[in-house]
Amino acid sequence: MESIDEEDVQKHRVHLRPITLRNAAPATLHLLPCEVPVNRPAPVERFFTPAIRQGPDGLQVSFRGRKLRGEEVEVPSGLEGYVMVMEEKGEVLVGKQDFSEGSENDEQEEQGLVEPPEALERDFDRFIGASASFSHFTLWNLETFPGPDAKVRAALTWPRLAAAIHAPVPED
Amino acid sequence: MAPALRQALDEYLKDASKKMKSGLMFVKLVNPCLGEGALYLFNMCLQQLFEIKVFKEKHRSWFINQSVQSGGLLHIATPMDPLFLLLHYLIKADKEGKFQPLDQVVVDDMFPNCILLLKLPELEKLLQHVTEQKEIGTRKYYKYSKEKTLKWLEKKVNQTMAALKTNNINVGARVQSAAFFCSHQVSSDKEEDYIRYAHGLISDYIPKELSDDLSKYLKLPETSASLPNPPSKKVKLSDDPVEAKEDYTKFNTKDLKTEKKNSKMTAAQKALAKVDKSGMKSIDFFFGAKSKKIGKI
Repeated sequence: MESIDEEDVQKHRVHLRPITLRNAAPATLHLLPCEVPVNRPAPVERFFTPAIRQGPDGLQVSFRGRKLRGEEVEVPSGLEGYVMVMEEKGEVLVGKQDFSEGSENDEQEEQGLVEPPEALERDFDRFIGASASFSHFTLWNLETFPGPDAKVRAALTWPRLAAAIHAPVPED
Repeated sequence: MAPALRQALDEYLKDASKKMKSGLMFVKLVNPCLGEGALYLFNMCLQQLFEIKVFKEKHRSWFINQSVQSGGLLHIATPMDPLFLLLHYLIKADKEGKFQPLDQVVVDDMFPNCILLLKLPELEKLLQHVTEQKEIGTRKYYKYSKEKTLKWLEKKVNQTMAALKTNNINVGARVQSAAFFCSHQVSSDKEEDYIRYAHGLISDYIPKELSDDLSKYLKLPETSASLPNPPSKKVKLSDDPVEAKEDYTKFNTKDLKTEKKNSKMTAAQKALAKVDKSGMKSIDFFFGAKSKKIGKI
């Protein structure tokens, strides 16, 4: 058990290519109020972007015939936004068998908090890189403006609180 | 592909080209509260540990440039105090009731990357907050101290409370209504709300049993529906004759019995996690995870 060789340990690591963080070009991000169940290219610039209007109270657009209201959300200072892409190597997806033992997965998924992105769960040494960066994104709601109570805004206050929780405590 | 926020690591990036592989990496380690796997980010150059939290809301997707990404997840990496993770292993090892060197405490079949924790700087200084230490020859030996840990956690609660106040985070309905009527009057009730809220946040990083002990230590009034605690099999710390239990010849003999105990612990923790925690705030509040198990928030 103490003789877990380095190679075996390596299988569980996903290395971030640091160079990609420096070279990541700014991206335009929209957080939509609906689930589009696919991941693929989409002509956002042809259909979505030209339809965005600056109304008296904020941004407006329509998506699939529904009226959306939106506002810009800044990434809090001290943080940077990155879009990460896993490098494909053509390896077989082993899944999370090593981690599922003794844990009730359905519960964990329902909670949805500590679940890493699917891509990070592959069971071997891999690489991930930043494909783009962002310092703000557009948050969209259906019909009404997201406002200060939007859940994603609460998530963005987390880093400040986390800093206090995890700061070293003073010595006696 | 996932939009992710990452703490600025400028210093590291200047130096980035040197090492391609051994710098920043995502690994799965134990969640010290639940005992399950969680995602962390290690920066081996700055020797820092980050935890990754995921914002997830129903019915969300991303447009990222000219593409669509389902799920609408937002990952947030924030610096993490490695002591919470070390504590998980120290408490586990304490069942053997003796002083042990750190590399025999931090071992994990499920999450072998826990050895990365041993490479973090100033571990000895950190460990002083939660352990008794002995030095024999050149080796250091550690033993979990509940007394010290509770003192350390109290400080954590205090600094979290301060942050809640400076960030104007509402900690209870009472606070909100009080703010309407008498803006500058700080009632004792309000203070209690802050302690309870901070205690809830810290509790997401420690086992349930320790969270209960901390609650008593902070003299928080009991909340309504708490389960009767199972009789603790742990040796009481105060009258534990430490000297008598030392046995340096049997370091970390992890037999089947301890294995079983550990899995039992997780099951028990799971059951306890279902306890109504109303009045206790948790990190989930910030990530929109709606779960009945967590209780009303």
